[in-house]
Amino acid sequence: MSDFLPSPLTLAALVKIGLLVGGLMTAAAYLVLLERWIAAWVQDRRGPNRVGIPFTKISLFGLGQPLADGLKIILKEDFTPKHVDKILYNAAPLVILAASLAIFAAIPFGSVLPPLNIPGLPDPVPFLVAPGLDVGVLWVFALSSIAVYGVLLGGWASNNKYGFLGGLRSSAQLVAYEIPLGLGLLGVVLAAGSLKLDAIMNAQAESGVWYCMAQPLGFLVFFVASFAEAARLPFDLPEAEQELVGGYHTEYSGIRLLLFLVSEFLHMITAAFLIVIMFLGGWHFWGITGSSQQITWLEALLRFGILSAKILAVIVFFMLVRWSWPRFRFDQLMNLAWKVMLPLGLANLVTVAAVEEFRPQFTEALGATTAGWLAIAVPWVVFFVGWILAGILTPSGTDNRPIRAHDPLDIERGIREHDLAETELAGTR
Amino acid sequence: MFGSDPTSAGTLLAAGVTSAAVSLWLLLPRGTQSPASMRLGTVLGLLALAAFVATGQRLGSIGEEAVFLIVSLVAVVAGAATIVTRSPVYSAIWFALALAGVAGVLLVLGAQFLGVATIVVYAGAILVMFLFVLMLAQPSGMAPYDRVSSEPLLSAVAGAVLLGLLTLSIGRLTAEPAACCNTPSRAAAMADAAPVAPAAADVAKADRMESDQVARLGAELFGRHLLAVEVAGVLLLASLVGAIAVVSRGEAAAASEGRFSR
Repeated sequence: MSDFLPSPLTLAALVKIGLLVGGLMTAAAYLVLLERWIAAWVQDRRGPNRVGIPFTKISLFGLGQPLADGLKIILKEDFTPKHVDKILYNAAPLVILAASLAIFAAIPFGSVLPPLNIPGLPDPVPFLVAPGLDVGVLWVFALSSIAVYGVLLGGWASNNKYGFLGGLRSSAQLVAYEIPLGLGLLGVVLAAGSLKLDAIMNAQAESGVWYCMAQPLGFLVFFVASFAEAARLPFDLPEAEQELVGGYHTEYSGIRLLLFLVSEFLHMITAAFLIVIMFLGGWHFWGITGSSQQITWLEALLRFGILSAKILAVIVFFMLVRWSWPRFRFDQLMNLAWKVMLPLGLANLVTVAAVEEFRPQFTEALGATTAGWLAIAVPWVVFFVGWILAGILTPSGTDNRPIRAHDPLDIERGIREHDLAETELAGTR
Repeated sequence: MFGSDPTSAGTLLAAGVTSAAVSLWLLLPRGTQSPASMRLGTVLGLLALAAFVATGQRLGSIGEEAVFLIVSLVAVVAGAATIVTRSPVYSAIWFALALAGVAGVLLVLGAQFLGVATIVVYAGAILVMFLFVLMLAQPSGMAPYDRVSSEPLLSAVAGAVLLGLLTLSIGRLTAEPAACCNTPSRAAAMADAAPVAPAAADVAKADRMESDQVARLGAELFGRHLLAVEVAGVLLLASLVGAIAVVSRGEAAAASEGRFSR
């Protein structure tokens, strides 16, 4: 094989990249349609149902809508205000989109293919663009922290106070919730003993215990944090256009705005992938998919289908939450991150570390079955205790009522203070 | 490669280092700079880069070589731009790009954990904090200390001398066998990527890609270097506690002055 011809390994990676990017972009377009349908269903109205095949009267339940939406936003005027910092203004959407697409290099979208017997291509071929990457979870984490740059730069380069404040606000949110996200990840990494996402799925398939059962607290923390990282309601301050004049993309329009919106949707898809892969068993389902690496074509397709179905279910949950929950105020959001999620995440990490440390001793003393049940029961106890403690000790920042210095019914005191203020005022005059 | 003639390679290296120093001296921000000197500085910098590329060693395959060249050039050019740019926000962005280049170099050389950790720690956490502060502190205009660099001549000469010495010594160390990696300080991270003969390069590469790098690095860190890791952890914790203490004292003082009635 000459040096100049791409090897089968490179070709396989290119094919996977093509499939993944094409699939993701199409999925993002149709998920927007699904989101609008769900919104219409929740609000008891008809959603987009007219656009079908162009230039005909056939309306396939509105399945042509993504095409029309895309054409509309692409053909809109791409207006660049005079006062922006041109270079960073143009770079910000590209940075955020590139980062949110590059994340998928380390995210598996299935299990493995049955042996293909192509020379130069080691079997079995995994559904993963970069199977050699030993630090998959960290890669995901690194690139999601790069996406903060897009937000920050977009806000700063707009040279507009609303855009700037929006950028600072959203990047503070993203940075704050990266910590509980990382703590949730760490518990799973500890239990699976690997930083590779496909190895994490295999570990769940082999034991048959999904990590959402073995680490309920970690699941909760990770779930909430990934809502915040994807900037979905109730954490969607970045795009609260009614109350906060949008956010970092206030000054953007046309195709550049589309890039921001697509990358936000990709973040949601990434979050759904990670939740399913790390906590909901990935492609594993009891009795349907085997757990070995030697599989048939039917099993390979089944695994792919189950993974996709789980991801779709999580995304639909994301969309339902959007219409069921009010938005947080900014201080509530920060209190939740630092005073609730961070301690809960630490508690989960310590619990998982203790369980994994003492599991061999207990297996020896009590037998594998009892030790396995114990390893599930202890985290659930910690989960409920942590939940109750967080409920009791919740910081008062989540209280929406105005803060009063004294009892509102204490009228005497009110009058007294009023008189005092009056005399003071008279004194200064 | 330090080719057949070592003297020519030495001359090339000296020329590269000198032109790098002159170019940096010309480009570093000062009160007034003519466009001609900026242009001359850019040209000299490009010449220095070409000289360094010419003296460097070749990697295994053409693809690997191309990727390595691209990421390392990005790292070097962005690093120079970091100190040359006047706007602090742009400086931070260039620095982020330089870090991305360094991470790319580490990934190409097989030190995956270090590469990704560079992005997570530096680009993802520290530099974002820098940007926060820069954007909040300087909403308009640039401060005088951003427009003038304090010691352009001394810093350019010192940097050039350091660069030349390091290149020479590393070149001496690895000139004999065709090594795959020439960064000895990273050797701990890629214990399996030691210099190997070209014939065994494929085996070593396969080993490098598939073995449990993170597990090995972790065993190394928490085995031989346990004390250092623990001390660093305690140090960080102490600084964290100190920062919180400073903040809460400030709040208490403000409350005693009655500024916050909550």
